Amino acid sequence: MVVKIRLARFGRRKAPFYNIVVAQARTARNSKPIEVLGTYDPIPKAPIDGEGKRWKDIKLDSARAKYWLGVGAQPSDPAWRLLSMAGLLEPKYRPKA
Amino acid sequence: MPPPLRCTASFPSTCAKTLCRAGQSRRSFSTTPQQDQRITRNRRQLFRWLGSQGQNFLNPLNGSTNYLGAYNNEGQLKRVVEASAEAERKRKKDAGKGNELAKDDAPEGAEEGGGFKGKIPPETTRDLTPFPLNRSFVSQPVLSDEFREEIWKRVMQDGKSVREVSAELAVEMSRVGAVVRLKEIEKEWEQNGRPLAKPYHEAVMSMLPKTPFDPDSKDKGKPHESINDLPVHRKTGTQIFHPTSESRHFTREDAAKVFDERLLPADLRVPHPELAEMHKDYKAGLSLEERQARQKERDEIAERKRQRASAKKAKQEAAVKKVDTGRVEFRFTEISVDDAGKDGRGFKGVGWRYGHPHMDRSRGTVKIPTSVE
Repeated sequence: MVVKIRLARFGRRKAPFYNIVVAQARTARNSKPIEVLGTYDPIPKAPIDGEGKRWKDIKLDSARAKYWLGVGAQPSDPAWRLLSMAGLLEPKYRPKA
Repeated sequence: MPPPLRCTASFPSTCAKTLCRAGQSRRSFSTTPQQDQRITRNRRQLFRWLGSQGQNFLNPLNGSTNYLGAYNNEGQLKRVVEASAEAERKRKKDAGKGNELAKDDAPEGAEEGGGFKGKIPPETTRDLTPFPLNRSFVSQPVLSDEFREEIWKRVMQDGKSVREVSAELAVEMSRVGAVVRLKEIEKEWEQNGRPLAKPYHEAVMSMLPKTPFDPDSKDKGKPHESINDLPVHRKTGTQIFHPTSESRHFTREDAAKVFDERLLPADLRVPHPELAEMHKDYKAGLSLEERQARQKERDEIAERKRQRASAKKAKQEAAVKKVDTGRVEFRFTEISVDDAGKDGRGFKGVGWRYGHPHMDRSRGTVKIPTSVE
């Protein structure tokens, strides 16, 4: 069975919140994973001082993520996007110039 | 017929905008057709007022406020009338003594009818009442241009804190902050060549009482406003009868505790507790050197505290990795999976918990949000 790094959607209707999880590929989306690597809150927050860009909060244990990538865990596309932003992977898709 | 409104010769071009155009004296104030307008008593009185007191507002005073409360029923400036009466009395008194010197002292501003040759005496509180029937409404002074420039200079160029500048110049901290922010915008606009509403600004400023900035004058000690007022806290609004033993030393700290367990004492809730500390030293009879030494010590402690806080904040900032993707910024915070503990339910762990329902599914708890963002 394939071990995947993927997002598990929690939160409420119209208020998504994701756990970044390591799980067996065939288990249900929100079933208990092998490990929770972190979280991803896709709803942008306004900067506190009112200046600058809105931001999205991601919490990630990069050491464990590296380990799981090293033993062959396969990130899903959204997870790949986040992990590449964190500098753990080469970006899969690049914006067309 | 009502007397037509006339321009006085002193302001031929700018006078009273639309109210009184030399050729259009028949312009009426009302929308009633001319033939239907009856000459009532009120109407007569209005035009009488416009011809006497009203003239003062048609051609406002230069370099002074021009409120209704400053004029008497004859349309004369009260303070000028008083000053001339005072001068007259003095002159008679001196003439009785045979003192010839008095003639030189006689104020020039003594002429009937509101016209003056010399300087107008300064306004008193009475002259700053725009509404004669509401004597308790007094027009408060605003910061003059030089004063605002000085505030901006001290904060932005000399690098002083808002708190310091507020204490030095006796201007509230919130006002200092506002002045600095608006000055910054003004300077930015000037730099970008954006036009400023200068004539409007000058016209408004010429009509208001102002606090001048003038470090050399004798009047330096006169503060713009009271800066150390105790803000009213909601928790202190209730009237409480708190019995306590006579032998107990009941301080302000205790009083604050009675209002609310977490309420700070009044000494710490004022905007400038450091000024109170300084005054306490002064009251204790310490010498100037001792007081300065104590103040320096307190300043150092505060500075260390501030540095510790800013270092902590900077460290936290540095630990967050920021990735800008154009529309939004992604902020990556490092965590440890071990924080969740063996069962994955430790309170330090991040993420949605597995295996037990979320709090808002539980019964008997209030789910109505207390705040909406």
